[in-house]
Amino acid sequence: MEDLLPYLHFVVLPQVIDALIIGVALALVALGLTMIFGLLDVINLAHGDLYMLGGFAAFTLLGWGLGYWSALVLVPILIGIVGWALEELGIRPLLPRADRAVVTLLLTFGVSLILRDLAQVIWGTETRAVAASLSGVVSAAGVIVPSYRLFVFAFAVATIVGTWWLVYRTQIGAVLRATAVDPAMVASFGIPIRWVYGFTFVYGCGLAGLAGVLLSPIYAVFPTMGHDFLVMAFAVVIVGGMGSIIGAVVAALLLAQVQGLASLWIPPVWAETLVYGVMLLVLVVRPAGLFNRLGAA
Amino acid sequence: MLDRSSLLCFAASGALALALASGSQAADAIKVGVVTPLSGAYAPIGKQVRWGAELAVKEINAAGGVKGRPFELLFEDEEANPPVAVRKSEKLIQQDKVDLITGTVNSGSTLAVGQLAERNDRILVTTVSYAPTITGAQCSPNVFRVNANAFMQSNALTAWLAKNIAGKRYFFIGPDYEMGRSTIGAFQDDIKRLGGTDVGATFPPLGAKDFTQYIGAIRAARPDVIMTATAGNDTVRLLTQLKEYGILSDKLTLAGAAGAVTQENIGAMGGAGDGFLSSAGYSTDIDTPANKTFVAAFKKEHQSEPDLFGADTYGLFYLLKQAIEQAGGTETAKLRAAMEDATWQTPQGTKKMRKGDHQAIVDMVVVKVKGNDFQTVGKVAGEEAVGPDKCDRF
Amino acid sequence: MPPTEASALGAAKTVTKATVGERLMLALRSADASAGPLRWLALAVLALAAIFPLIGGPFYTRLGIETLLLGSVALSVDILLGHAGLLSLGQAAYFGLAAYISALMYLHVTQSFWLVLLAVMVAVGVFSFLLGAVAIRAKGVYFALITFGAAEILSKIAHNTRAIGGSDGLLGIPVPRIPLLPGVVLDLHSNLVFYYAVLAALVLIYLATRRVLATAFGSVLRAIRDNADRVPYLGYNPFWYKLAAYVLAAQIAAFGGLIYPLLRGFVAPNLFGFEVSTQAVVMSLVGGVGTLIGPLAGSAIITFLDSLVGSYTDRHLMVLGAIFIVFVMFLPDGLCGLVRRAFIAFSGEVHTGAPQKTRQTQNAPRREVSP
Repeated sequence: MEDLLPYLHFVVLPQVIDALIIGVALALVALGLTMIFGLLDVINLAHGDLYMLGGFAAFTLLGWGLGYWSALVLVPILIGIVGWALEELGIRPLLPRADRAVVTLLLTFGVSLILRDLAQVIWGTETRAVAASLSGVVSAAGVIVPSYRLFVFAFAVATIVGTWWLVYRTQIGAVLRATAVDPAMVASFGIPIRWVYGFTFVYGCGLAGLAGVLLSPIYAVFPTMGHDFLVMAFAVVIVGGMGSIIGAVVAALLLAQVQGLASLWIPPVWAETLVYGVMLLVLVVRPAGLFNRLGAA
Repeated sequence: MLDRSSLLCFAASGALALALASGSQAADAIKVGVVTPLSGAYAPIGKQVRWGAELAVKEINAAGGVKGRPFELLFEDEEANPPVAVRKSEKLIQQDKVDLITGTVNSGSTLAVGQLAERNDRILVTTVSYAPTITGAQCSPNVFRVNANAFMQSNALTAWLAKNIAGKRYFFIGPDYEMGRSTIGAFQDDIKRLGGTDVGATFPPLGAKDFTQYIGAIRAARPDVIMTATAGNDTVRLLTQLKEYGILSDKLTLAGAAGAVTQENIGAMGGAGDGFLSSAGYSTDIDTPANKTFVAAFKKEHQSEPDLFGADTYGLFYLLKQAIEQAGGTETAKLRAAMEDATWQTPQGTKKMRKGDHQAIVDMVVVKVKGNDFQTVGKVAGEEAVGPDKCDRF
Repeated sequence: MPPTEASALGAAKTVTKATVGERLMLALRSADASAGPLRWLALAVLALAAIFPLIGGPFYTRLGIETLLLGSVALSVDILLGHAGLLSLGQAAYFGLAAYISALMYLHVTQSFWLVLLAVMVAVGVFSFLLGAVAIRAKGVYFALITFGAAEILSKIAHNTRAIGGSDGLLGIPVPRIPLLPGVVLDLHSNLVFYYAVLAALVLIYLATRRVLATAFGSVLRAIRDNADRVPYLGYNPFWYKLAAYVLAAQIAAFGGLIYPLLRGFVAPNLFGFEVSTQAVVMSLVGGVGTLIGPLAGSAIITFLDSLVGSYTDRHLMVLGAIFIVFVMFLPDGLCGLVRRAFIAFSGEVHTGAPQKTRQTQNAPRREVSP
């Protein structure tokens, strides 16, 4: 019993805190994915590669002499532009098709292959570093957390809250949610649906890019880094409910904790499998996910 | 491909010149199939393999080839995927009629292609794979290895560590797959044998991005040395995160497998890898005229320094030249015989092939990372590091 | 044009206002109605396949065998996608499972091909039944993600279990001699015998699949594909039909996996990989979804292309991705579909299949494009 308290304090608690930070980062990545699916019925398999491009964009910008903070602002915009191009050229023509979810999944898969190879051509195969402007650790009650990670946590939370506010408390958000429920109705108000779709897609891609630049000092940058979050992000989106912002956040935090805590007691490799198992379980018990879609009450 | 045609030009003109000069028959090229990952996560290694091969072939062909016959390289991308590697290798053997094969990187590919080579009566030489089993339990009469294997690396490194590091508490981190586990296993055995204390081992998944969950265990174990078998991006993440959390200090020694810190990822460490110790069969600062020439030529040709993969692949072709000349051709049985007993010169010194298991005996160097460079801090003789012959399939 | 504006503007006018995409899907629909052109195509493909090894040489013959094996995985994708409306991104799970069971049995249990075949069929049958029962309950695209996840899990398990070879896989699977009938032995050491045996088996599988899908079962399946919500009103439970299709598809993918270790002599965790699953989807798409012969032709095309492209550039992933995108966007019914349409246009016949069928994304009714 006397071993339990220090164990909880020095092993479990740091684990919970770390998983919290990872969970928030994961939520950021999954958020873009879930918004795009929630509104457009598009599964963006290239999402992970947009995250990767965000990391490389940060690397390039820093190489050109820009500061880290400028990169933090610029990169999401740049990746948003890439997303816009993808949407205009690839997604938009496919939206009218009845099997849009399947076809866009296949399309974005092809795009993903191209982006990954392209990154290797442009930036080479070496791993790159992006230096953050924050270093050092914060220590409290025997638990140590690097300052930069706290910043990541704060920034990600702010972005998520900001997104929630955008979707649920603004006019644009109202249009977004209405379009998710009944696009025809919204169109009949004279609102250009294509801009709603375009905006959502660009915003989602921008979030992926933001995650890329935000996390690059911790995780380094290389062409296959898109794989890092992609699989977990999809698990989050499924568990949370496709299209639900709250769902993405809750599921991300939950799954990160499951993986983190499980790795304490079973080989970490199997912890990932456990997360898949949780995903399958949710799909059996509650296929729509834990929360409802973007538009639903 | 541009380089293939220019190589052919080189080869053709070299052969022609030699034929005209010596009056002997202009013989056909010696085709070497290089099946190596040119895309995907292992592309950096494949790149070095390719560069090493191309430089060696260029030099050899320019100097007259192998008794007048030039080398011809045929590259195929195996994507570090054994089914793909086997398919491409079969193409090279049966369709392109290569005389032998090299270039495989991960042990799964080497083993699978080795089996294919055996079934097709060709020789496979690996210059990268360091899983001991390739020349151990799963050895093959058709497979040779010219680089140092994990066992040798561990032998040399742990011997040096035991002698030079005061602290005896060792913590191990290895990626959770065959290679990672066997490398860490070798480290653990050697450390225990040398009187060190194993204070813990952990096995993150291969490709893990976040190592923070292991940091608690590391801190609790209070090690003097952390030994890692991670590679590529995993190492970058591990070390940068260790630095992030303030684990790194002057009192802590970092060490690990040779593939952990290489030219391809050293730039991304941001100083986190400083002082990292590893043992390899090669280092750019080996102080021999041959190595200095090699490094200079490599830098000139490829605008980058060679690493152990490039150097070992380069050295292979000089072994091949010698063996083919001795065997009077590329007929497999004769070539095998010539290679089995070979002693040949490479940039890093003399290598000798061990007949019993086709493992080259390589003098090891212990290197330390300093900034973006590697510095040799110790040497262990090949015979000492090589370990017992565990192959009994031939 | 945004998807639902069309529906908002008038249900009855859907046929004339249908977009190019929808008209293409309509042409795709009648998998059995336009048997004529497809039958010729199938015969042509078969003829090509039959003479191929005689002109190819040993390497291409063996590559051809591997193509046929991957073709069976592509065929399994097509059964699900083209006839049941289910996109499976994890057929490699069954390819890999069959390969590993086959390898393990040959290495440790028996040299009898038929015993191995039985073991594979049972194991794959049980697994696909269980997974299918879970996955099919999920709507639309979730199914794709679940199947993907399942293949990934199996891949990880294979990768991390040392007892079955771990990341290095298993080597040393012998090339068997298969007793077919008393006195007749298939010696797979001969490349030609191996090729024709596999071709014959695949032809049988293809014909059997064709037959099965031409029955009432197939019709119900296609009805489910087109409008799953209506089918229960006709008295059929979509779940069991989809599950049956899934189990059948798994067996067909397993055929490829069963033979693979006999051809290559080894298995590795990559056989469960995403690359295998997605290549099967690409092959199906390029060949022509729903045509059944399409994926087999597509397999040959993609394998050949991959080999060709690989000789000229290292950027074969980009090229593959580009080809894929071109087909997804502009040639949704693939090459066989293209040939079929050309044939139909050329011969002047009109095959429309059933009128006004629409594909419904199975997520929510409000997503319906047209009634």
